[in-house]
Amino acid sequence: MDFAFMWETFLTLLPGLPLTLELAATSILAGGILAAIISLVAVIGGPIGRGFTQGYVFVFRGSPLLVQMFLIYYGLGQFRPFLQEIGVWGIFREPYWCAVIALTLNTAAYSSEIFRGGLQAVSIQQVEAARACGMSGVLLFRRIILPIAIRQALPAYGNEIILMLKATALASVITIMEVTGLAGKLIADSFRAFEVFIVAGAIYLAITFLVTRLLRIIEFWLSPHLRLRPPSLT
Amino acid sequence: MELMDRYLALVGFGETGWGALLLTAAAMTLGVSVCGFLTGMVLGSVITFMQLSRYMVLRWLADGYTTVLRGVPDLLVVYLFYFGGTAFLGYLGGFFGYQGFIGMPAFLTGTLALGVVSAAYQSEVFRGAFNSVARGELEAASAVGMRPWPKFRRIIAPLVLRYAIPGLGNTWQLVLKESALISVTGLVELLRQSQIAAGSTRRPFEFYLTAVVLYLVITWVSSIVFRRLETRTLRGTRRAL
Amino acid sequence: MSDRGTMLTADNNKNSTAAVSVKDLRKCFGQLEVLKGVSLEAQEGDVISILGSSGSGKSTMLRCINMLEVPDSGEIRIGGEMFALKKGRHKTQPADRRQVDRLREHIGMVFQSFNLWSHMTILENVIEAPVHVQKRNRAECIEEAEALLERVGIAEKRNFYPAHLSGGQQQRAAIARALAQRPRVMLFDEPTSALDPELVGEVLKVMRSLAEEGRTMLVVTHEMAFARDVSSRVVFLHKGVVEEEGNPDEIFRNPNSERFKQFLSVER
Repeated sequence: MDFAFMWETFLTLLPGLPLTLELAATSILAGGILAAIISLVAVIGGPIGRGFTQGYVFVFRGSPLLVQMFLIYYGLGQFRPFLQEIGVWGIFREPYWCAVIALTLNTAAYSSEIFRGGLQAVSIQQVEAARACGMSGVLLFRRIILPIAIRQALPAYGNEIILMLKATALASVITIMEVTGLAGKLIADSFRAFEVFIVAGAIYLAITFLVTRLLRIIEFWLSPHLRLRPPSLT
Repeated sequence: MELMDRYLALVGFGETGWGALLLTAAAMTLGVSVCGFLTGMVLGSVITFMQLSRYMVLRWLADGYTTVLRGVPDLLVVYLFYFGGTAFLGYLGGFFGYQGFIGMPAFLTGTLALGVVSAAYQSEVFRGAFNSVARGELEAASAVGMRPWPKFRRIIAPLVLRYAIPGLGNTWQLVLKESALISVTGLVELLRQSQIAAGSTRRPFEFYLTAVVLYLVITWVSSIVFRRLETRTLRGTRRAL
Repeated sequence: MSDRGTMLTADNNKNSTAAVSVKDLRKCFGQLEVLKGVSLEAQEGDVISILGSSGSGKSTMLRCINMLEVPDSGEIRIGGEMFALKKGRHKTQPADRRQVDRLREHIGMVFQSFNLWSHMTILENVIEAPVHVQKRNRAECIEEAEALLERVGIAEKRNFYPAHLSGGQQQRAAIARALAQRPRVMLFDEPTSALDPELVGEVLKVMRSLAEEGRTMLVVTHEMAFARDVSSRVVFLHKGVVEEEGNPDEIFRNPNSERFKQFLSVER
């Protein structure tokens, strides 16, 4: 194994890291907000709300993210005059923003299902207990339902965050030079796929490792009630 | 109406329509996905064996495998197999005195990449399923004097498989969507064909939209198939709901 | 039944052809010593009830007899043949897995939680071991299995899956499954403990009829009436040793051990 080459590779790939992180952070944040809205609509929106959200989730979970990205970046380019007229062409012209939009819409579909699962996992009994002592509406939601739902949803949502980190790699296919984009270019130039894979893979693993650690800390911090459980046998 | 007619002429089966090519490409998507999924199933069960092994080295290797493949973008894996495979073949060719370029067959690249990636997920599915098999049923098999292989074939495998079906259904959907990545190797599957059509007609919106619809049809049908399979294999268990 | 008990005065050395013979069995789980040298012998046709409070080691002892637990030391013989054990670095292990499987073919086990194979119908459960372990003729096995299911009273459930049966029915199916092995010995590990009270009777009835036809049975149980009326001998385990042992008529009327007296006063 050629360590000099790998070090060089590392130095070549590193400049892509901020872009990877930026793509991930922006779309996770925006997707999280969108997902919260969608899951709320699904839970309290009645049959129409439910139907709409189901359709949304079906479309974005049922087709590949890469195709969604192409549809937004290349497909919407077809409507340039119209987009220019309403003043958003500046956004759709940029591959970066198209990638962010695709990632956001995609993660919103997955996350909304996770959030909905969390909300629905709140047991009726606990809600009833809250109602019995006079809570209702926003107070009930804020003090009882939301805290329970967040704890329920956190492990699955953590998984989704990791998946999003990986998904940012697809942005390279629409010309964005983040870590995978640089790696792909380097492989095509040098034909040393193995070494580049190891270095790029290590970079991603380092990020996912840090993120999982962080999530575990948050989880620990959010669930004191589980910590107090006596140690199980075995 | 006119818009619809124009669209249908584009993706239909007429003289100027891309319909036949798109359907062929969809079949290619299915083909490479099925091959990748099956490869992943075999590899995934090997990894599950390693995870459940009593040898620590094997457990470490298996854990390392799943950690790496679940943490690294799948596109990188595709690159690894495509370019790495080509380099390897070139090396082999050189060894046998052939100096020209030998490309890695795109279908093989796709199958291997999808298999290797999905194996990491499938092994988790199998392990979860194995853990939900009641210990008593395995003990009962030992108690009647079953040897390891019959015990695996008659008791463990059928039980694990049926607990694994929902999870396998999810992995299948995953593989199906991942297969779009194989388009970067030039394999003419659904996305690549849409790219070609979009490029030659300058109507990317219509073609990518059609691709989305075709993917949706495939995932929708396969979810129905897996649900059927689930109810069929779950005969004899009482459902909680 | 009880007159049979007199025939089996425990002379451990002479009866090398006992159906089951256990000698100086020891077993630890980590720091906890569960069996501290237990010996036991069952002749053909013996019905031995093994009593004891929870944690006395009675289930562990039973599970050692077919090597579901591997004892740390001691001898276990089935029909005179001894399980070969080898001492490993950390724990004792069977020296010959094939021998274990071969001997197990002749030991029918009935578990507390039935452990029927959930992916097979009742009939398939019963013919599994005869057909796939003992390699007997399938048609014959089916015929025999149907007779067995008839006998335990669930012939009409033959094509049902275990999950669709009540606990009592499942346990009777499990007994039929064990009988289908044509075992020399039947082991029962608290066969009625997981059952609702109203279902216990149907299982005990089947066990009683097996005892009456002269089967060799080792039964770990809490059913005092069964131990007293059906078994030929009762063994009381306490903290991993045999605390009291003998003919049920005698020891129930006249227990020697304080512990056994205490146990009886609680269990009754």
